[in-house]
Order: sequence, then structure tokens, then C-alpha cells
Amino acid sequence: MNPLEELLRRVPALLMARRNLSRNRIRSGLAILGIIIGVLAIASLGMFGTTLRTGADQQLGDIGNEISISPNLQEGVEELTDRDVDEIRRAVSDGSVVPIRSDSVLVSRGDQQTVTTIYGMENPGAIYEASDGRVPDRLRQGALVGSGTAELLDIEPGNTIAVDGRTYRVSAVLAEQQGISLVNPNSAVVLPMEDVNGTGYSQVVVSAESGQAANESAVSIREELNEREERVTVFELQSITSGIDQFFGILNTFLIGIGSISLVVAGVSILNVMLMSTIERRQEIGVLRAVGVQRGDIIRMILAEAGLLGTAGGVVGALVALGAGVALNSFVLNDPMATFQPINFFYVVLAVGFGIGTSILSGLYPAWKAANERPVEALRN
Amino acid sequence: MSHIIELQNVWKRYETGGEVVEALKDVDFHTDPGEFVSVMGPSGSGKSTMLNVLGLLDTPTEGTVLLDDRDVTDLSDREMTARRKEFIGFIFQSFHLIPTLSALENVEVPTLFGDDPAARERATTLLERVGLGDRLDHRPDQLSGGQKQRVAIARALINEPRILLADEPTGNLDQETGRSVLDLFDEIRREDDVAIVAVTHDPQLSDYTDRTVELVDGRIQ
Ligand SMILES: Nc1ncnc2c1ncn2[C@@H]1O[C@H](COP(=O)(O)OP(=O)(O)OP(=O)(O)O)[C@@H](O)[C@H]1O
Ligand SMILES: [Mg+2]
Repeated sequence: MNPLEELLRRVPALLMARRNLSRNRIRSGLAILGIIIGVLAIASLGMFGTTLRTGADQQLGDIGNEISISPNLQEGVEELTDRDVDEIRRAVSDGSVVPIRSDSVLVSRGDQQTVTTIYGMENPGAIYEASDGRVPDRLRQGALVGSGTAELLDIEPGNTIAVDGRTYRVSAVLAEQQGISLVNPNSAVVLPMEDVNGTGYSQVVVSAESGQAANESAVSIREELNEREERVTVFELQSITSGIDQFFGILNTFLIGIGSISLVVAGVSILNVMLMSTIERRQEIGVLRAVGVQRGDIIRMILAEAGLLGTAGGVVGALVALGAGVALNSFVLNDPMATFQPINFFYVVLAVGFGIGTSILSGLYPAWKAANERPVEALRN
Repeated sequence: MSHIIELQNVWKRYETGGEVVEALKDVDFHTDPGEFVSVMGPSGSGKSTMLNVLGLLDTPTEGTVLLDDRDVTDLSDREMTARRKEFIGFIFQSFHLIPTLSALENVEVPTLFGDDPAARERATTLLERVGLGDRLDHRPDQLSGGQKQRVAIARALINEPRILLADEPTGNLDQETGRSVLDLFDEIRREDDVAIVAVTHDPQLSDYTDRTVELVDGRIQ
């Protein structure tokens, strides 16, 4: 005897249920199809949401890891001092601190010239990458040119430019920053700190390892520097990214809600199928009751039928949904394996659970109705 | 007392749309192990109603039902079901086999929901005894009327009942097949000491029965 038959013999409700379902294959098949569609809708809409969020995260990059500290002009603080920077360094446990001094000056190459922002930075490598040339860890000499300025003045690494009358060799053209950025270098020139006029700093950028680390740094910086007076304002891009995350959370719930509606429809179709099949089998159920089968066993038998419909629909629906997820992710993200992440398995399990739950719930009324029919009534011809 | 089942002053009334139908009127009835009783009477005289009360499928409006000397009139549905399983085998006029199950599985049905590992063996033996040893895996639609009736008889016997209740057991069979079913009944009550109560219009039954009860208009004559 094979294991399936062995199981069916052990659980007579399952045996009877399976036989009953095979009686009208088309009807059972259609009921299963309803569940497949419902499960597919929930699981694939959930995964669709994940894909959207992953795509958006890729676009945003890791700006959530950066915070910006600027002097609080309303309190009369014009610029940040070396003491402030030291305090910030102490408050930040892991991550690089980049003080920035800025000014606006005339930049020229050959006979072309333009007024741009210049940033003085000691360690621009912590926040910028080069598209051409190399960004040194410590900037002691030479200039880094933003992509916009480079294009305007036709600059390449190795060229010589004049900034505010002094000449610099260009060591790199910076990669164009897309989207949101705390210190946008695109139409600026970055110079060594001491070459920019002034003693204080207009801004300090902290680049941390993760959004959470950035947030922790922001909290301790506020504690340290704003203890006596509101000396600085701390701006976290994380507040934007967490807002975006929240939006996608709502979007996902909404999508899954839409999917659930189709599952409710599938539940109604199972209710219909089970009701019809119990009415058709009224006499048979009467015979079962007459020969000594208890009410509870009748209920179990009919719930097993509904459960089998739900399980079959759930399993097929889950497989189809995973297939759809792979297709979607290879198309949108170019990464089919992005389907197999924990959150997506959660959606699939959720959908299958909903599918089986809906089926069993829909079987309750027909089961109760069949079990409570008096066998004398059912057997009357 | 050795009566296996007994009805004392049983009344059964049906109320339909304000009108009261008295299907059984003060019926006293009993049967002993190994006895074969036929119940006869015109249509609508209450024969099926009496059989249902005897089989614990229906409860009397008034009166008492004793099964194996115990009062079973007011038992719960659960207990009634358990007593039916233990004491009573049913044979229906239209067989009422389950179409999706094989002959063997149909015979096993009364044992299915319960732990009974020997059931399959008993079912096989019973089917061999009713002459269907070579039809174990046939489904009802692959069997003739007489064969179906014999599967139904085997099903009624699977739990070794003390009483066999049959409503028109030969009603759907030709005379010869009917006779072979009646021979089987005769063998069962002799060998297994089972009491048989059969409702019938079939006069050839009287060749087999110990006595005949005549119901007219709900009263035993
Ligand atoms: N559920 C019911 N509701 C109302 N009246 C009923 C019900 N069941 C039976 N009766 C009535 O009780 C009477 C006896 O019915 P019963 O079925 O016992 O007759 P019977 O002797 O078996 O008849 P037949 O030989 O035609 O099968 C009939 O008048 C019938 O109309
Ligand atoms: Mg009748």
C-alpha cells in the first residue's frame, strides 16, 4: 500500500472527501481555480509591492545613512567652530565626519569662466566618488570638479583651472549625483579646506554605516551640542526615506487588500460548491448517519473536502505566484533571485493560509447543515 | 425478558399545517433474537414509521422503546447513533450504496469512523458469504440490482448487529433474486441469531417468516 492510501485509510474523513471531490472533477477544478486566483492575487500583489520598494531603495541609494549639521541661524550662530566639530566627532561612534566650508567665487579655465560654489573639505572621499580621475582620502592639493561645472568649462582630470585667482590641478571629476543629496557637488568645485576663506564651517556631513547608525548619531549630536542652547540644526534624510518606506507599506497593504477580495469571491464559490454537493448527497449522508456515523464525523468529512480544495488551490497558487514573481523581478529589477527574500515568503505563506482558511470557513455552513439533517428526513424518498 | 427490542404503547404523530396525522397508534411490538418478523399493511399504514422508531432513527411522540432491555426513548443524538452502530443493521429498498466507493469499501463504511483494524477482513468474509467474493473492487454502478442488495446486506452485518431492519428488501428485485436474498436472511438469523424485521408487500416472504404483523391505519391488528 502506498503512503497516500495508508494516510487516507487512517483518516477516513480524508478518504471520503477525496472520493467525493473526484466525483465531479470539473466542479472541483473550478472551485480550486477560484482559490488559485485568490492566492495568486494576494501573493503576487504582495511581491509586486516588494519589487517596487526594492526598486525605489535602489534609486534612493544610501542617502538615509547621511545626516547634515548646520549652524542655527535663528539663534545667531553664524558658523560651526572647530570645537563643534570635535564634539560631533565624539558623538559619532561609527561613520565619517566631513566638515565643510563654503564660499562663492569665480572659476575659470582658459578664457571661459563662471561663478560657482566652492566647498572646502579635508576628506571628500567619505561622501563623493569620481567619475573620472581619483578622489584622495585626504585632499591637500588640487581640485575636484563637479560634473556640471566640468561640462560647462570643458574640464578633465589633469587640466589646470583658476579658482579665485589661484591655480589648481584638477585631480578628479566627480560622479553626477542623482536624486536627493545633502551637499550636491554637481555645479561646485571642491578644494582643500585651508584654501577656502574663513575659519568656521558652514555645514558638517556625517556619513554612517546604516540608517540606524545615522539616526543614533543624530540623537547624540543633538544631546551634545544643543544641551545649553539650540546651537545646531540636524537634518536627517532618513526622515524622508522612512516616509517613503511607510508609503510602500501602505501601498502593499492596499494591494493585498485588493487581492483578498478575489479570495472572498473564491470562498463564496467554494461555499456554493460544497452546498450543492451536500444537497446532492443528502441521502448518502443520511445513510452514513443511519449506520452509526456521528455528526462530528460528517462535519470533519465535509471540512476535509473544503480543506482539500483550499490546499490544492493554495499550493498551485503559491507556485504560480513564485513564477510570476521571478518573471516580474527579472523584468523590473534584472534580478530574478530578488523573489526569494523572506518578506516574499511571508506573503506566499500568508496567501496560502488565507486560501485554506477561506475554504474551510466556507465549508462550515454546508458541513453544519448536512450534519444536522435528521437521517429519517434525508432517507425519505 | 429476552426481547432484543420492544415498543410499548408507542404513538407517533406528525403535525403538518395544523393537521395532525397519527402514523402509529398505541403500538406494542417486540421481537426476539433469531426471529424473523414481517410487517405488512396498506400504503400509509405506518410501516416505515414503525421501522424508523425500531431503528432509533426516529423517536416516538409517546411511549417507550426498549433496546436489549434498556430504555432508549430519550437518548441524545450521539448515544442513539452509537446504539445504532452497535445493535442495528439497515437494509434499504433502494440499497443506498455510496457510488464513489467499491463494494468492499461500502461494506466497511459503518466501521470507517472508528478504530477497527479487523474491519477489512470481516468485510471481505461477508462479501464472500453473500457470493460476491469476486466483486470486491467493483463500484455500485458495475453491479446488478441483486448484487447491490447483497452488498447492502453485507454492510448491514459488518458490525455484527443484533437486529436487522429491512424496508421492502425484495421490492426492487425479480422473484428469483428476491428468493436468494430471503435465503440469505434465513441463513443469517439461524447462524448469527439475529432478529430480522422486514416491511414488505411480497407474499413469498411468509414462507420464511416466523410471524407476520399486520398494520392498518397505524394500529397493529
Ligand atoms: N415526516 C412526516 N410528516 C408528516 N406526515 C408523515 C411523515 N412521515 C410519515 N407521515 C405520514 O404517516 C403515515 C405513515 O407513513 P409511513 O411512511 O410509515 O407509511 P408506510 O406504511 O411505510 O407506507 P408505504 O407502504 O407507502 O411505504 C402516512 O400517512 C404519512 O403521510
Ligand atoms: Mg414505507
